[in-house]
Order: sequence, then structure tokens, then C-alpha cells
Amino acid sequence: MYDTVDKYVKQLKKELRGYDPALVQDALSDAEEFLRTALTSSKNENPEISDEDALGPIIDKYGSPDEIASAYKEIEFRTSPSLSASVPKSHLSLLSKFLSIYGDSQAWAAVFFLILSAVTGIIFGFWTLIGAGISVCSIFLIIGLPLLGLYLLSLRGIAIIEGRIVEALLGVRMPRKPIFIQRGLSLSKKLRVLLSESLTWKIILYLIIRFPLGLVYSFGLLILMSFAAKFIAYPVLASVFDRGLITLGGQKYYTDVYLYPLVSLLGFIVLTLTLHLAKHVGKLHGKFAKFMLVRRESDDV
Amino acid sequence: MNLISESNKKFQKELNSGTASLVLLSVLYRAREPMYGYQIAKLIETHDTNVQMMKQGALYPVLRSLENGGLLESHVDPSVSGPPRRYYTITKAGRETLKAWIEIWDHTKVFVDTILEGKNNV
Repeated sequence: MYDTVDKYVKQLKKELRGYDPALVQDALSDAEEFLRTALTSSKNENPEISDEDALGPIIDKYGSPDEIASAYKEIEFRTSPSLSASVPKSHLSLLSKFLSIYGDSQAWAAVFFLILSAVTGIIFGFWTLIGAGISVCSIFLIIGLPLLGLYLLSLRGIAIIEGRIVEALLGVRMPRKPIFIQRGLSLSKKLRVLLSESLTWKIILYLIIRFPLGLVYSFGLLILMSFAAKFIAYPVLASVFDRGLITLGGQKYYTDVYLYPLVSLLGFIVLTLTLHLAKHVGKLHGKFAKFMLVRRESDDV
Repeated sequence: MNLISESNKKFQKELNSGTASLVLLSVLYRAREPMYGYQIAKLIETHDTNVQMMKQGALYPVLRSLENGGLLESHVDPSVSGPPRRYYTITKAGRETLKAWIEIWDHTKVFVDTILEGKNNV
């Protein structure tokens, strides 16, 4: 019924239409890995056999696209991405909801992601820009094309790493397997495929945007948290270490002693709001990462 | 007839959904080196009786789910003769879980056999 692996994969993709793009990507790369390995093995044993004849029994054992699609759907239904189910919805009062952020693992994981994002953003951004520069400059040299190919593949690898970080810390389901490029193509054709895929360009754009975005996330969060920490510790800082609440032009400004608890309370509120903000920014970033790094049905294959 | 074969299929599927994880953990526990999906499927095939217990493609999502649960870990290596392959190894948590699962499996086996053989029938 299927004379090529590509036709099988296309049908599997159809069967998985409407499901999480990350799940679809995993299922497609699993099928490619198995079917191509089995096909190569079968042709090694019997070089005369046609692809269609070899694929028949292989697919029979592997499972038809609808059987495989339902196997993935079933497992996905039972397994949820890490952290995503950590906080059950409950009928808490407004104040309890506000304070419950301290026990919310998603919020703390998002804080960790946002702080870490300056470092990862710098690495991703530099690699993307420097790699692009080197690839473009060496395009007319003999090593130009292989170098460009390696560079584009490395970006796919980085996208998978970023996806793993996003899934682990932000709880958004991301691909766990790389996307394969059709085998048997010449280097220039593989390059053409890579360059013509909108996913490649989306990954490049994402990794470049990730650079300034990482800095904003990380420093924004650190500034807010240090403000909060300073306000909370203000009574001790002012009375023991003689630190002012604000220092402007070398001039320290203090509050009255009776206002100390209020300043601490303000710091605590800022810290709590920052955690809520971090959680929401993390969620939004997760959606953005998924949109940019995961191949969609509308994307070209 | 068709109804019976459908219900057999459903029963087999329900059994597989639990046993596949146990089988895969056990295969990787015994493996001397990391194994990829096709290798695992081929190894299981040699133990299969004349009827195929489960589709080979259905093993992959189970492997992924075990990895997600921290019982397996994996890495991708390029291959000379095909697409890059994902190699799986069992983790420490996986080994401990396997021990517990084997115990549960043994109890279940004895329990079901006892009922099927009607030993305790009044």
C-alpha cells in the first residue's frame, strides 16, 4: 500500500492532525527512524527487493498509520508534561490565591528559566549570528556549503535543547526528537530543503530574538527581586547598617520608624507580584517557543 | 465471529498497555549497551510467539513515556546506514521501579492463575 517511507509518514501526519505539534514531530521521527532502518536492513538481506515489497511486511509489523497514531494519542493522554499538573485548581480565597504562588513549583521554575535566559540567550544569539556570518562569508569557498549545512543542523540541535529546557521548566510540551531530513539526497538538495523550510527561518528568528529577550527577562526579574528584597530587609538595613530607602545624588532618604513594617510589607507584595508575573511571562514564553520551534501542519515539509 | 475477534483485540490492547512498560524496562535492564527502537523491537520479535503481541511502532511512545518519567534516558547518535538513532538506557530509578514491577507482576500472575485454575472454588 505504501511504496515509500515518505508516503507512510505523510499519512501518519494526517492521522495526527489536530494533535499537539510536538507529539506529531516525535511520532514522525520515530516512524522515520524505524522504517528507514528496517528498509535498509531488508535491502541488505535481499538487494533485489523493491522498496514497496520490502515495506509491506515492515509496515505490517510496525503498525498502520491509524494504529500508530492511536498508540501515541493514548500514551499522550496518560502522560502530561512535567510540572503542568502540579497545582490543582481549587476554590481558594483571593488572598490565598495571591499567596499560594510561594508554593507553586511552576512559578519557581519560571523564575529559574527567566534568570537563566540571559546566559542561554547570549549563547544562542551569538552562535546564531556568528554562525550566520561565517557561513555567508565562506559560501564561495569549497567548505562553504558543508559549513552552511552543519550550521543549519546545529540550529536544529539548539532548538531541541531549548525545547527540552522550556518543557522541563515551563511545562509546555515540546518535541523530544529531532526532525530528520530525507535520506539519499545530495548535499545541495539537503541544503535546499533546510533553507526552504519555514521552520529553519523561524528557529533562526527565535534564537536571535531570544538574545535581547533573555537579557530583558533576566535583568528585569533581578531588578524587581532586588527591590523587593531591599524593601523587605529595610528595617534591618536602616537601623543596623544605616542604609537609606532611596539614595539620590549621594543623599540618603529614610522613612519614619513607624513606617518600617509598611515598607517591608510593600517589599513582600512586590516579591509576590514578581512571582505571579514570572509565572505568566513563563507561560507566554512557552507558547511563543512552541510556535517558533515546532513544525506545524501548515509548515512545508 | 467478528465481534469476538474485536473483543480479543481490545483485551490484548488493554493487557499490552501495562505489560509493554515492564517488557521494555526489562529488555533495557538486561542490555549491555544502549539500544535503539528498532533493535529493541527485533529483540522482542525473537521472543514473540506465532501471534504478534503488539505492533512494533507502539513501543516507541511507551519508550518516550518511560523516559519522561525518568525511568529511561536517551541520546541521539548519527548512523552510517540510516537516520540518526535514539539510544535508550535504563536509569537507577528505572532499575528500582523494575524490581517493584516484577514483584507486582508475580503477584498478579499467581492471583490470575489461581482464579483461572479454579483452585479456590467452593
